[in-house]
Amino acid sequence: MEAAEHTTKQPNGAGDILLSGKHLMVFFENALALNDLSIEVRRGEIVAVLGSNSAGKTTLMNTISGLIVDMKKKEQRRGGVRITLRGELRYKGEEILTLKPSERVKRGIVLSQERHPIFRDSDVLENLKIAGYLKRAGNLKERIQFVFELFPVLKKLRRRKAGLLSGGEQQMLAIGIALVADPELMLMDEPLLGLSPLLQADLARAIRDIRQQGITVLVTEQFARPLLPVIDRGYVVENGMLVFAGTRDELFDNPEVRAAYLGM
Amino acid sequence: MSLLIYGLINSVILALYTVGFSLTYGISGIANFAHGALYILSGFAAWTFMNAAGLPFWLSGILAVLISAIIGFVFYWVLLLRLRGIPLAELIVTFAAGVAILELLTWKGFYGIRYSLPVLVRGGVEIFGVGIDYQRFIVLACGVFLVVGLWLFVHHTRIGLAFRAMAQNERTALSIGIESDWIGSLSLAFGAALAAVAAMVVLPLGVMESTIGYEVLIYALAVAIVGGLESTLGMIAGSFLIGYGQIAAARYIGAKWMIIVPLAAIVFVLAVRPSGLFGKFKELEERV
Repeated sequence: MEAAEHTTKQPNGAGDILLSGKHLMVFFENALALNDLSIEVRRGEIVAVLGSNSAGKTTLMNTISGLIVDMKKKEQRRGGVRITLRGELRYKGEEILTLKPSERVKRGIVLSQERHPIFRDSDVLENLKIAGYLKRAGNLKERIQFVFELFPVLKKLRRRKAGLLSGGEQQMLAIGIALVADPELMLMDEPLLGLSPLLQADLARAIRDIRQQGITVLVTEQFARPLLPVIDRGYVVENGMLVFAGTRDELFDNPEVRAAYLGM
Repeated sequence: MSLLIYGLINSVILALYTVGFSLTYGISGIANFAHGALYILSGFAAWTFMNAAGLPFWLSGILAVLISAIIGFVFYWVLLLRLRGIPLAELIVTFAAGVAILELLTWKGFYGIRYSLPVLVRGGVEIFGVGIDYQRFIVLACGVFLVVGLWLFVHHTRIGLAFRAMAQNERTALSIGIESDWIGSLSLAFGAALAAVAAMVVLPLGVMESTIGYEVLIYALAVAIVGGLESTLGMIAGSFLIGYGQIAAARYIGAKWMIIVPLAAIVFVLAVRPSGLFGKFKELEERV
């Protein structure tokens, strides 16, 4: 595949640079999870990161959300795997590579993790309330209201224990939790994984609605087809390295991307 | 009849012993084995405020609860921080701290008949031919108040909701901006404060001794293990099982059997259903 050239191609109307990672390297001991990866997200965009299992998508999300900083701290305490971070990660021009996750949430970076981990003992409404931990009360009601408008099924199930929801409902709730935390940059790690095609299309539309709220979205996926209609640009990651970057049309036109990530 | 009433009071006392221990464990996974030591330490702290500084009991009690909470909080940042995530090490360090507190108290001469806290209301009343002093009613009321208050607290306040989040899924909690070390240390402070509250209402029933610290720890462990470590309902059920079991054993076998009941319950439950009689999720994991 052709070399990554990611700075020049944006669709019209995209704003200033919100997030920029340059030469990101993440090691677990000596294993390289991210290898010299550079990525850029502009305000108002929906950007996809495509890659197969173990390509480094989740590591990238953890690096941007700061969860990796917490993992690193915990591993250090128990003398486990040594995690090393290198490179540069800027959010609105500020270097954030070593910031704690809570500091990044305060700045507007919120992650919805893969496999939709929710608070299974709490009911749906309580899940959303918990997510308002850092937010003011009045704003909280509005944000929960928005989540219910986006996913009406959650409103119907708001008294149901989250652990009893179906996989798709849990995924909606996981996205809802992240939305209540009031993101400017929303990270979604494989939100379509394991869902029915119908639900995948619904969620893709929801991602577009989320952008309508002025939220920038960075989303990872293994299979790009349901996502393709809503994204502006995409990166393809293999073995922790960037192998392709381009607009939606460029992704669609590239024969290798079509074969590997669109199943065509 | 007296079996019923004294069993009830004994059960509530056990629940009071346990509530702080299981709160801390439920939120942060830390089994605070210094729980009993903090319980009796706050009793002696209140005694000291009253008898050395001349403060009234209610003020001494509040100060003792605050001190216990601060000790719990400091425990986390000084002793536990670098061991987080290693359950055995957490257990050993809290147990060592507990033993240190208890032995220090004994060494400083904190034992004997003169060490006791005053009851809030003197006197008693007879119900169905069973004499009960007012302090035991206060214990009952306090038990109910704490359980209801805690439930409201964790479901309806910001910190309480963060507690619930951390207890259920730490990484999701992290990804919405809840800090695990902050919540962990608060959970320890809350647990320690609850131990002190229990001490303030239960200790006036008898004489204070540092060995009570070990007893309280064993009771708390027994209730938590029997009831299952993560459910409030389990904790209450565990308190009642052991509480009534103890009173029945004392009545029909002999008073010295009271301490055997919780120990036997621990052994029995660990052998038959290690997740506790009312534990919820570990059941599946055990089967796998």
